[in-house]
Amino acid sequence: MDFAVTDHRPPYLGFGLGLRPQHYEDILSGNPDIDWFEVISENYMVPGGKPLRILDRICERYPIVMHGVSLSIASTAPLDMDYLTELKRLADRVDPKWISDHLCWTGVHGVNLHDLLPVPYTAEALDHVIERVRRVQDFLGRRLTLENVSSYVTFAESEMSEWDFVSEVAERADCWLLFDVNNVYVSSYNHGFSVSEFLHGVPRHRVVQFHLAGHSHEGEHIVDTHDHPVCGEVWDFYRETVSHFGPVSTMIERDDNIPPLAELVAELDVARRIAREVKSGRTMAAAG
Amino acid sequence: MTSLKDLQARFQAGIVGGDDAVLSDINDSSREDRRVLFGVYRNAYVIRLAEILGHDYELTHTYLGDTAFSDLAHAYIAAHPSDKRNARWFGRYLPDFARSTAPFSEHKEIGELAGLEKALADAFDGPDARPVTMEELAAIAPEDWPNLVFIPHPTAVRTRFKTNAADIWMALSDGAAPPGPVLLPEPQTILVWRQDLTARFRPLAPEEAMMWAEAAKGVRFGILCEMVATFGGEDGAELRAATYLKTWLDTGLLACVSPDCAQSDLVMGTAH
Repeated sequence: MDFAVTDHRPPYLGFGLGLRPQHYEDILSGNPDIDWFEVISENYMVPGGKPLRILDRICERYPIVMHGVSLSIASTAPLDMDYLTELKRLADRVDPKWISDHLCWTGVHGVNLHDLLPVPYTAEALDHVIERVRRVQDFLGRRLTLENVSSYVTFAESEMSEWDFVSEVAERADCWLLFDVNNVYVSSYNHGFSVSEFLHGVPRHRVVQFHLAGHSHEGEHIVDTHDHPVCGEVWDFYRETVSHFGPVSTMIERDDNIPPLAELVAELDVARRIAREVKSGRTMAAAG
Repeated sequence: MTSLKDLQARFQAGIVGGDDAVLSDINDSSREDRRVLFGVYRNAYVIRLAEILGHDYELTHTYLGDTAFSDLAHAYIAAHPSDKRNARWFGRYLPDFARSTAPFSEHKEIGELAGLEKALADAFDGPDARPVTMEELAAIAPEDWPNLVFIPHPTAVRTRFKTNAADIWMALSDGAAPPGPVLLPEPQTILVWRQDLTARFRPLAPEEAMMWAEAAKGVRFGILCEMVATFGGEDGAELRAATYLKTWLDTGLLACVSPDCAQSDLVMGTAH
């Protein structure tokens, strides 16, 4: 399919946050220094009432990106057309800048595990995912944006690296990528690869969004819990990521232990500062 | 596709059923045994679903306490693996499960309390409809009143409680100690709906409950007044019926008041 309408690269949106109900009032009554919001699609795939009413009001004031957690693009179960129809209906209402979900599966045999489950990096899985991404993009009439997930296991039958798999999906399915900085860090620790190798292994022209988040360090492995502030190592990797990709829409995800909005805005300022420093460093290097 | 399909089946069986066959598909990491690494998914599954139930049934959780609620949640998770993409609907069978599964079914207020929480949640994000106002009713010609039919707001549902679960809900909602569970002498009708953006409920006295049930079936106002007269006595029957109607309008309970509300809408109304 020719995505004539959304053919061009999505716009750069600046620095955003995940929209969470705990912050509705502060957002609508104040004017927080947030450039855009990412909404969890499923939270608004409901018939009506307050969630959709609030979302309409936020949409009037901020650019919105839809982020799903249950597309299950890598599942061998059939595509869930009811889910996709609802997703499309929400997109028609919200007019998001783009729609993202995860490069993972969430269940088979009619069961949903509500988790982002890992994919073996095989040629078979690659062909399967690419074919499904194309079908979903045809149905939605727009390109998908796919995010690399945190994972805790690797499969004996994997034939390629995660970054090769992600890159092949993006190029062959012609979709965008959401580069989750924290997820790369978490998976690199769990599986013992270099974050830089991942970073340089992904096609730059496909990356339209960054995620930042906190995690829980369990000693011998790290779990992607989104319940802490972004840690120093992930900020360091973010600096390297921004240096490599240039300006890309960036947001912070917090799903548990959600602090007051001001605290997240302050955390977002750290991302802004790092991006500014990278940019001015480049300018100075160019001037020098 | 056999390989990926089989791998996903083994992976899921490992999470849901505790089957270890999937471990042969997984590598040890340089620091950690594969069993520990796969355990991250296994543990997260039950914890996440229990958290969803704790969020959706917050007052039932408070009422039961951590241990008994955890027992209920784990029994439910084992009996009802999630079959919807959206976690919003995972817990939708919990009230029926509590009503029908021992030992929870031996305490009828548990299922009813959970049922009230579910009904309020369903009303909270249920379908939108513009409520009819008193001003709009006043604009209807008096000669048309006997022929008026009513369509409830699409979020409005009636439920019948055999226990004082509604009182338990109210106490818990205020942060107070709940009253002890008791069986009511007569079942109580509870009406749940959303007024503007707020999910609400209130018990209905028998006469109002009767009139609401008949109105929701599409019975016209003139007949409703006769029914009220038969049910509660002729003295002041029309005034009582008009008072109920005013309350419904004041609280956003009606989506259509007209001699000719659409039949298709009436079908929706009969469920309420």
